[in-house]
Amino acid sequence: MKKLIAIVLCLVMVVAAVACTSKPATETKTETKTETAAQGKVFNIYAWNEEFKGFFEKYYKVPEGVTVNWIITPSDNGAYQQKLDEALLNQANAAADDKVDMFLAEADYIGKYVNSDATMSIDAIGFKNADTMYEYTIKAASDDKGVCKGVSFQCCPAAVIYRKSIAKDVLGVDDPASVQAAIDSWEKFDAVAAKAKEKGYYMTASFAETFRTFSNNCTMPWVDANDNLQFDPMITAWIDQTDNYIKNGYTLTAGVWDAEKTNEMFKTGKTMCFFGPAWYYNFCMTNAMDPEQGCVGDWAIVQGPQAYFWGGTWLLAAAGSDNTEMLKDIFESFTINEEIVENLVKNENQYPNNTKIAEKYANDPTYGNTAILDGQNDIAVFAELAKNIKWENHTNYDQILNEGLQNKLQEYFNGSVDKDTAMKNFYQLIKETYPNIKLPAA
Amino acid sequence: METIERETRKKRKSVSYAKWGYIFIAPFFIAYFIFTLVPQFLTIYNSFFETYRIGLTQVGPNFVWFDNYKTLFTPDADGTILILKYALNTMILWIAGALPQFVIAMLLAVFFTSYRLNIKGQGFFKTVIYMPNLIMAAAFSMLFYTLFSRVGPIQALLESWGVIDHTFDFFAIRVSVRGMIALMNFLMWFGNTTIVLMAGIMGIDQSLFESATIDGANSVQVFFRITMPLLMPIFVYCLITAMIGGIQMFDVPQVLSKGDGVPNGTTRTLVMYLNGYLKTRNLGMSGAISVVMFIITGGLGGIVYKMLSAPYKDGSRK
Repeated sequence: MKKLIAIVLCLVMVVAAVACTSKPATETKTETKTETAAQGKVFNIYAWNEEFKGFFEKYYKVPEGVTVNWIITPSDNGAYQQKLDEALLNQANAAADDKVDMFLAEADYIGKYVNSDATMSIDAIGFKNADTMYEYTIKAASDDKGVCKGVSFQCCPAAVIYRKSIAKDVLGVDDPASVQAAIDSWEKFDAVAAKAKEKGYYMTASFAETFRTFSNNCTMPWVDANDNLQFDPMITAWIDQTDNYIKNGYTLTAGVWDAEKTNEMFKTGKTMCFFGPAWYYNFCMTNAMDPEQGCVGDWAIVQGPQAYFWGGTWLLAAAGSDNTEMLKDIFESFTINEEIVENLVKNENQYPNNTKIAEKYANDPTYGNTAILDGQNDIAVFAELAKNIKWENHTNYDQILNEGLQNKLQEYFNGSVDKDTAMKNFYQLIKETYPNIKLPAA
Repeated sequence: METIERETRKKRKSVSYAKWGYIFIAPFFIAYFIFTLVPQFLTIYNSFFETYRIGLTQVGPNFVWFDNYKTLFTPDADGTILILKYALNTMILWIAGALPQFVIAMLLAVFFTSYRLNIKGQGFFKTVIYMPNLIMAAAFSMLFYTLFSRVGPIQALLESWGVIDHTFDFFAIRVSVRGMIALMNFLMWFGNTTIVLMAGIMGIDQSLFESATIDGANSVQVFFRITMPLLMPIFVYCLITAMIGGIQMFDVPQVLSKGDGVPNGTTRTLVMYLNGYLKTRNLGMSGAISVVMFIITGGLGGIVYKMLSAPYKDGSRK
């Protein structure tokens, strides 16, 4: 009897160890066969934060019987893409209910996914891009041959959001037209920064606040066709400007996402200008909207020294999804469905990827943003800027290079290393991450 | 019939129950073979290849002999060999934490086990000093980051006392970041070391302490002449396991410096360096770093074995 128990126990242990590895493989075989034609019951969405999840849960009606799984991994240190890449590369072997159905991607790395077999054409799921969508959002989601793989629910022209009370103190005026006239070029912007400093204010609250404005106006991509790293004059201009701002105390050494910067948006903050698109309100300005310490209504928006756009979230269709009908439905809901799109504008402070709705609000004299601004029609400002957005000079390396440059230079700006060392550290990061990129001879 | 029975009885007597022992420990060896040994060989194998991803596109694997090792040990423009810099960082961080850890743990272990002091409420103190070890290292590190960040309470407190000005940044100063990491490692591990050393001291025959005291030895003499020599095997074991843990130091500095090893890579450890290559699944380079670390760890293991077995070889001690 004892022997028998011992044998059984041993078997159980061995089987348990082996079963772990062999189980998924058998599942795939049976399930892929039966479910390719029919629609799946589980819809898996990969994302790096809760932003879109909030809109999705509020406005999208999930078809009956379908469970939506959110797999959320923060972007820090590239964790989101690592997790997503593993899932996408394993897509063929995953069980139908574990396959990625849709995933979110940012402007900095969308090219990596649309130019791969991990995404599928939206034609394949029966979705047609509407002519109300902004051209650049389609181009960004298309591969080199022009096959579109997804949509964006937002359009991200970016502007300068300023504190009216501080502008009044520094410039003597606080209405958008006069403020825009005072900062409509970088020279003027720098001059106002000096004035703000005299009055005890900061012009911006992060050394990297203007980075996107410069980097978005680059005339060449970070890496050329032969894998050579290229420093655009705009990037150099940003470094020079920031150098000047740090030296003179016009800005802080905090990063764009740091609490030190966002704390400047409280009523007690001493910073005049913030750079961002419509998503910036919800994403970065919650301190400004704080009922006690915030300062709702003390904000206004202008085009600023240079037009640019920043970020944006695209919804991409993962190849191998068994929920193609739901994918199509989601794409439609957040771009064409006027009721949902209007809700995004009215209730969520978004600037939509729908020219018709955008124009409707831009031309509506009764519309004004009171969630954060003083009732100014910000959609009108964004609509004007959105017309000129072009999608060009992007590479698959943008995220590591843009964020890496900021991180490494932050050490220079906060005084822990000299500029040459910071640049050396930046090159070292590139060497480590992408050995194929050829660095300029040092 | 009888003869058969006798034969089987004879056979039974010679049955070895040892095989059941082997069968019961087999699952461990199978799991070790599959999940540890095979990956170890694969790591060595991969370290000879150029293999990484650009986006979702796989580059390689191309067999490149020792090129990855060459890259690792090639000095950069100013002559720094990065892997040595990071190895030195790791060593400094480990020593800065381990030195106070062992001194304090030793003192506490002696105090707690001393029949003359006979400290009350030992259970309580032992639990309290062990507590920090229960917190996840990453969470502990995040806590320190929050405390010392530019908008954290410590900065605000020191600013209000006028000790530092607004531009001060704990994370821009090498000594402060290294100090924080060492402090965290010390706090997390001294309790654990205390308990292991206490077990070691309690294993020593009490009569030795008593007779030494009767012979007029003071407590310093008792410590150096009796406790330390007899505790040596346990002490060396503690030291070496701590060192191996130190070589693999990762989560505390990674979280505290946001993966960058600020300032200027001075808190970047070997495993953080390795982790940097994994961003693009560069198995060749990270494999090469692993192999270098494996050799270092193996070397230390060898030293331990020698030190532990040396006193027993000459036959003077049992």
